[in-house]
Amino acid sequence: MQSKQKRILMAKTGLDGHWRGPTLVARALRDAGFEVIMLGMASSDDIGRAAIDEDVDLVGLNIGGHIDVAVRAVKELQALAPDLPIFAGGTIPPHACRQLEALNVEVYPPGSKLQAIVEAANRLTRLTPDQVDQV
Amino acid sequence: MQSNQKNPKRTAVSGFELKPFYTAQDVPEGHRERTAAAPGDAPYHRGFHPSGYRSKPWRIFQLSGFGKPEDENERIKFLLKNGETGFIMEHDRNTADHCYNVDHPEVMARREDVGLTGAVMQSVRDTAICLDGLPMDTSFGHAGGAVVQHAPFALAAYWTVAKNEGHALSSLAGTGQSDFNLTYLGCVTKQQIPTDAGLRFNADIIEFCTEHLPRWVPVSIAGYNAADTGLNPAQELGTLFANAVEYLDEIKRRGSIPIEAAARACGGVSFRASINLFEEAAKMRAARMMWSDLLRQRYGITDPKIANLRIHCVTAGSKMTYQQPLNNIVRGTLMALGAVMGGVQSLGVSGYDEALSIPSEHAHQMSVRIQQILQEETQVADVTDPLGGSYYVEALTAQLAESGWRFFDEINHQGGYLRSLDSGWLHAQAGENQYTEFMEMESGQRHVVGVTMAEDDESDFHVDGFVGADDAFDVALARLNEVKRTRHEKGAHAALKALESACRGSTNIMPSHMDALAAEVTLGEIGDVYRSVFGDWNTPIQT
Amino acid sequence: MSALAELVDRVRRSDRRALARLLSLAERDPLIAPELDSLLPIELGETRVIGFTGPPGAGKSTLVNALLEPAMASFGKAAVLAVDPSSPFTGGAILGDRIRMSERTRDPNVFIRSFASRGEQGGLAASTALAVRIMALAGWPVVLVETLGIGQVELEILNQADCVVVVLPPGWGDTIQANKAGLTESGDVFVVNKSDRDGADQACRDLIDSLSLLQRVPLPQVFKTQATNGVGVEALWAHLVQWHDEERNSGRCASRRLDQRSAFLNHALHAHIRARVDRYLGAHEFSADTRLGVLLDKSLAELSNGQS
Repeated sequence: MQSKQKRILMAKTGLDGHWRGPTLVARALRDAGFEVIMLGMASSDDIGRAAIDEDVDLVGLNIGGHIDVAVRAVKELQALAPDLPIFAGGTIPPHACRQLEALNVEVYPPGSKLQAIVEAANRLTRLTPDQVDQV
Repeated sequence: MQSNQKNPKRTAVSGFELKPFYTAQDVPEGHRERTAAAPGDAPYHRGFHPSGYRSKPWRIFQLSGFGKPEDENERIKFLLKNGETGFIMEHDRNTADHCYNVDHPEVMARREDVGLTGAVMQSVRDTAICLDGLPMDTSFGHAGGAVVQHAPFALAAYWTVAKNEGHALSSLAGTGQSDFNLTYLGCVTKQQIPTDAGLRFNADIIEFCTEHLPRWVPVSIAGYNAADTGLNPAQELGTLFANAVEYLDEIKRRGSIPIEAAARACGGVSFRASINLFEEAAKMRAARMMWSDLLRQRYGITDPKIANLRIHCVTAGSKMTYQQPLNNIVRGTLMALGAVMGGVQSLGVSGYDEALSIPSEHAHQMSVRIQQILQEETQVADVTDPLGGSYYVEALTAQLAESGWRFFDEINHQGGYLRSLDSGWLHAQAGENQYTEFMEMESGQRHVVGVTMAEDDESDFHVDGFVGADDAFDVALARLNEVKRTRHEKGAHAALKALESACRGSTNIMPSHMDALAAEVTLGEIGDVYRSVFGDWNTPIQT
Repeated sequence: MSALAELVDRVRRSDRRALARLLSLAERDPLIAPELDSLLPIELGETRVIGFTGPPGAGKSTLVNALLEPAMASFGKAAVLAVDPSSPFTGGAILGDRIRMSERTRDPNVFIRSFASRGEQGGLAASTALAVRIMALAGWPVVLVETLGIGQVELEILNQADCVVVVLPPGWGDTIQANKAGLTESGDVFVVNKSDRDGADQACRDLIDSLSLLQRVPLPQVFKTQATNGVGVEALWAHLVQWHDEERNSGRCASRRLDQRSAFLNHALHAHIRARVDRYLGAHEFSADTRLGVLLDKSLAELSNGQS
């Protein structure tokens, strides 16, 4: 029987220090039963290393700056761990949302409900049938 | 109103119950006689000058900047042309906040972010480009240096450029920031000097300014980030004055300059203006009362010139919505109205695209227009303290001051403002409020138009994020290399050594910073000295 | 070869992803513990395990981060297992220790893993013991285990370490919490961190006095550090290395590890049986008027013949 605790890595791609958003999301995810590993402001290398070593089920990115920085982080992470789902929130203007969605990243801009984010986390970390059999 | 149904009881943001209507009896007894005061009478809740905005309208003062220093120069000129009456230099946060040059690995890993929200200035040459042609002698300039460890560099750079242009420092009017609530509470950076070192920096800056720049506000004691991180108006007041006390007590301890001079310098503060307009106006009134009480009771200062609290105000960025951004023009206007009814001296209105990016030219212009319309068309500026005597606003003013002092006491109970930051206590208070506010929105108890209700906009007016420049990093790197190649290396090296020596010792850091900037020492080199001398603040929160 | 055995084999061959995966399995599923225990060497061998504990605000994470540098200088590689409490209500947790080690996280010679306590009595102690053995198998010469140490569960984790370091803030002398939590008895080395603050010297003196009353062999030493700028860190590390060498030479380390093995068997047995009972109860319905004796007989029968 698999324990139900799923692990989510939360990282900020920019060097911008606003912590309100990630803290609220982390708390909501914890309240929904997730183990949330906070990485803080991290480069793509940091994020990739943490995602692997912590064997997480989902990566949440807080994006606040230029979309290219985030896109780079997403692409590197996807190359490293192709099956690891990623979702993102933060100050993401519409043109940037579209770029992330094109990379299969779900985007939650300001004003998104915490409930929607939690539901997404549950959905994205649900095991697919063939993953259950895999050790 | 949608929120009606579930929550018949109404409370102010600071927690006080709001009555359906107010009468004279609702004004607390201790405050009642004060309602007969005139502006200029202690305790100054009505302001300091009977003529108010008639003699001096509030300053239209917009945060501005991105890209290369010349891009920022252009945007500042645009704003001045359109009617702002002071200018603010915003520095690129990747470099400035951390005192990194652009060739630092953390910055290079995020090269596209460089210049996104402020211009990159790594040496006095960059600052000179940014200030080129700007009226430093007649305008009120904000030198940047929002983050505590960045302040000495930003100030020294600005002042050095001023000197090079032939302006006497003693004639310069402007302000620094060096904002503890921004640095250690609201926008915790990846790396920062510890709070004790920050206090030393700010006390040094205060001392230096009282001696050399009497018209300059050395540091801005600012509530904006306390409030935008979640603290309510009463808590914002308590936090701001607890912050002020750290500076004044330190000056007193040093005995280096008269406490009156420091108090006068510290009397330029900054608050957030949120959208609950009556509470916000009352907050400004309470602030003036609290400052004069604090000076009198704690420091024995009763001189009205010193009790003159000059308030700069910035409207709440966090209230600007991502959805239906044009609605934010209305929000900006209402927040500005609350602020000016509260009698602030200077105002910046957030752009309507705040939730998407830094302001586009249009959004920036709109922020100026809002203030111009208020000043020219509404007669709001014709009468000082227009809300004075309102039972509601006088009651709120008294309640906010009382509640503000209680929070001030709680902070002191934690060991003081600095300790409350180090331990994360202040962050925890802010975080709790944020969480409650969010939960209220999620459950439908509290509404935001366009976000939790009225979500579909039929006549959709598309606004996208503004991206100012794409060559900021490349140009900055080239210029960094150019400075290092062409400056007088021995002189720069010597100046940096002297700066390090000053940091390690106890002399005022500003003279050595002035010398270093003149010798073309760069930001990252100074940052490396700070890291080596002061170490890194142990952040109490996970960010 | 079972899938688990294959994974263990990959870990033995220093496959880092396999290591991360195996740690998850060991933590997640008490039911694989018997097979895993048979696949892993019982002995930790050369690997040194140092536990760190102390009250919140002592700067424990910062100190562990600071120790990574001398640890890597001594042994080339170092691993950190950081335990944070889970919410007793929701089962979730916010694991924030990794963030303190930001400069190290990219270094391939550092492995940091965050654990949530998950609140199960003994379960975490068992999975920590397994985690340490997995790290040893993967070739990590030193493992730093970090936890709050205020509760029973946390003390059990620390009891899996060769050496327990208690990190205290200055002004500790004012509180008796450390005594109450049994830390004075369990600690092998004591550190007063933030030693530049008022009260640090007094806290040291108080500690030395308290410890001298305990007549422990060897007598625990007290160190002063400022983890944020490295003051005292090298000296502390040098002592930790020397301490471990002496424990080994005297045979105390081996004897302690034997006790830990017994404790592990105890915890793991409890955790495993609980997991199996939970699984049984999840799969079988019974009415409220069932007699306990009947339920016991039925469940034991199924459990013992491997049906559940």
